[in-house]
Amino acid sequence: MSRIRRLPASAVAAATALALALTACSSKAEDDGGDNGSGGGDGASGELETGAGVTDTTITLGALTDMTGPYATLGASITQVQQMYVEEINGAGGICERELALEVRDHGYDPEKAISAYNELQPNVLAFPQFIGSPYVTAVKDQVDSTDMVPIVAQAWTASLLGSPYIQMVGATYDVETINAIDFLVSEHGLAEGDKIGQIYFEGDYGENALEGAEYAAEQLGMSVVGQMIKPTDEDMTAQVSALAQEGVSAIVISAGPRQAASIAGVAAAAGLNVPIIGNNSAFAPQLLATEAAPALLNNFYIAASTLPIGDEAAKDIADSYLAAYPDATLDNGVLAGYNAIEIITEAARLACDNGKLTREGLTEALRTMSGFPGLGVTHDFSDPANPSTLETVILKPDADAPGGMVVHREAAVSDIAGSFPRE
Amino acid sequence: MSEPLTKTGNPPPSAPAAPPSAAPSGGPAPAGSGRGRLHRRLRRLLPAAGALILLALPFYAEAFWLRAGLFAMAAAIGAIGLNLLTGSTGQLSLGHSFFLAVGAYGYCLFAGDPDGTTTGWGLPPLLAMVLAVALAGVAGGLFSPIAGRLRGAYLGIATLALIFIGQHVLFNAKDLTGGFNGRPVPVLEFLGLSFDNEKTLVAGVPFTAVEKLWYLGLVLLAAGALFAVGVLKSRPGRAMNAIRDHRIAAGVMGIPVARYRGAVFVLSSMYAGLAGVLLALVFQRTVPGYFGISLALTYLAMIVIGGLGSVGGAVLGAAFVTLIPQILTRYSESLPLISAPGTGGVAPGEASELLYGAAVVAAVLFLPGGLVRLPLVLRMRRQARRRTKTS
Repeated sequence: MSRIRRLPASAVAAATALALALTACSSKAEDDGGDNGSGGGDGASGELETGAGVTDTTITLGALTDMTGPYATLGASITQVQQMYVEEINGAGGICERELALEVRDHGYDPEKAISAYNELQPNVLAFPQFIGSPYVTAVKDQVDSTDMVPIVAQAWTASLLGSPYIQMVGATYDVETINAIDFLVSEHGLAEGDKIGQIYFEGDYGENALEGAEYAAEQLGMSVVGQMIKPTDEDMTAQVSALAQEGVSAIVISAGPRQAASIAGVAAAAGLNVPIIGNNSAFAPQLLATEAAPALLNNFYIAASTLPIGDEAAKDIADSYLAAYPDATLDNGVLAGYNAIEIITEAARLACDNGKLTREGLTEALRTMSGFPGLGVTHDFSDPANPSTLETVILKPDADAPGGMVVHREAAVSDIAGSFPRE
Repeated sequence: MSEPLTKTGNPPPSAPAAPPSAAPSGGPAPAGSGRGRLHRRLRRLLPAAGALILLALPFYAEAFWLRAGLFAMAAAIGAIGLNLLTGSTGQLSLGHSFFLAVGAYGYCLFAGDPDGTTTGWGLPPLLAMVLAVALAGVAGGLFSPIAGRLRGAYLGIATLALIFIGQHVLFNAKDLTGGFNGRPVPVLEFLGLSFDNEKTLVAGVPFTAVEKLWYLGLVLLAAGALFAVGVLKSRPGRAMNAIRDHRIAAGVMGIPVARYRGAVFVLSSMYAGLAGVLLALVFQRTVPGYFGISLALTYLAMIVIGGLGSVGGAVLGAAFVTLIPQILTRYSESLPLISAPGTGGVAPGEASELLYGAAVVAAVLFLPGGLVRLPLVLRMRRQARRRTKTS
């Protein structure tokens, strides 16, 4: 017994010594380079200062997407168009004499995978042109602001993400978009003081941010908002629509998903509630026009967005090359959102390269100088991280014949109320 | 004996964080002869070597592996709790994620400072941690009148209500939970140690939050596992098994069945609460959507895959269920037969989901007693082969 006892003790001692000795040559040991040590190539490329994600031959970008979870359609569109964009750029000689590479991680809207994937890619990329899932962007926000300082384009339009110098959204936030939508209802559908606006909104930051905008607009215009909060899993909107009908609303604002929009339009038409319906940009998908709700949607339904529809002439080149690369894919506005996002990042990278500073810091500085960036139908201003990149909103209308299912109803415009919306 | 140590020398892909150090070492070893002595020796050495590897990992493994390992450790703590309830006492719970949420949000509430939108009590983090675990226990205690009276699947249905109540509260009690986007998790600090992202050099290796939390996770897991083993090996453990196997017989023998069921439910909630705190510390932000029904089902999967009723099984199952999706997500692009997104084949994300599903089915199909039976199954097969050879 004692023999057996003695053995592990000595083994443990020997092993400890060995382990401590091995520690000395760990690959993780610090070599004064810090975060951006590995990618640096200062001598070979002359004056150009480079950092994480940039080597002498490659610029690596990261994409945190959701292709297996609730935002699978959006994630697929964005990822595919960004892959296509990367190939186009590389075909045309790359950027800063380097090829672009896109590292994609599919987190399936799972927080464990999302946080892990961000932390895995983060040390090796220059920027993230895609990050789906506003809760996870919020989760890493402190880390981004304090240590990582990596530019991120988040595919979200909620005001709670404003204010970080590194996290960028392309387009108006939901509050501004909703204000412009209500302004449109006033100018074209004759809503007036004393009217009630019904709003059906998701619990969570999308719906609640839109509600803030609606309440501000209603207050300014002397109207009132009748809110109906729903969960993303609620799909039958009969109860909500009849509640709004009983309140006698003059219009309905939808800050929910496409399924809810289809149900609302269908139920309202069946119940004889003949009021204009307008949704935020996430409330429509071209697939809806193949459902029974199509006649109702074509009749009295609008969408507020910060970009032209994919079927517009201005987006024809993108749509054509997208369909050439992915013949089976559906054209939706995720394609444009993804395209815009990576275009902005590469444009900033080009500027940063010209300034001789192709680093995260250089990219962020370059982004700040982009105050008149031409998007599709609207102009973006990235100079102030505390404000959305634009206050303009395009009003779209479903159209069964247009690619992507939507056409422009009213060109981009800013309402006076949106301009006065206070932002702390 | 140098075999496991050389492994520590080249860590990244070959040494994923496997925390089964607390696993009891399988069935009985074949007795007698020199071979038997070697076995005995090995059985004593293996846990020590495993513990050493775990202790040395933060010096070698990338942050990705450490984070994955921490998720696995937190899951293991929660799974041990659920296994006490479901595996050992035969009570089904579908509300485990609710108690994880109580622990996670409880810690944020007790340790957090009020910041205008959310309330916080600003207590010392270590005290907040203890209080959060106690709060989860209290929540379990409030439910114990129900937990004590209902059995098996009926309790499962009743606990389902907790998930829905929990989700509603998490999304809507904004000053407590921060709503949809959650609230930031205060950094754990005690005795001058701070588990934050500030780089601290230890033997030349920069330690950030994950490296520091790794050791906290090991300590919590080891303590939780030892306590559970203690419970299971003593009088209460036998009483719990008696209740699971024959409730009426247990009652006749003088075991207060309702009180035991209630108490086990409280204990299991406290394990979940501790797991919640550790998870929150790793995430650095609590997100309400995480604590839903699918998380509760994942925990059930862990204990079934690992092995019902044993602490080692819970730990193994938690490691399996947590690590496989992480590994598959990371390496999905280099798997065979995978096509780039949008080209019509199987996309990396889908492939990893499919493989994960297949792994779960395979584990349940070929190891009905759980992963914890793997050494036993292998040994039996080896003996059978030897017997056919000699005969």
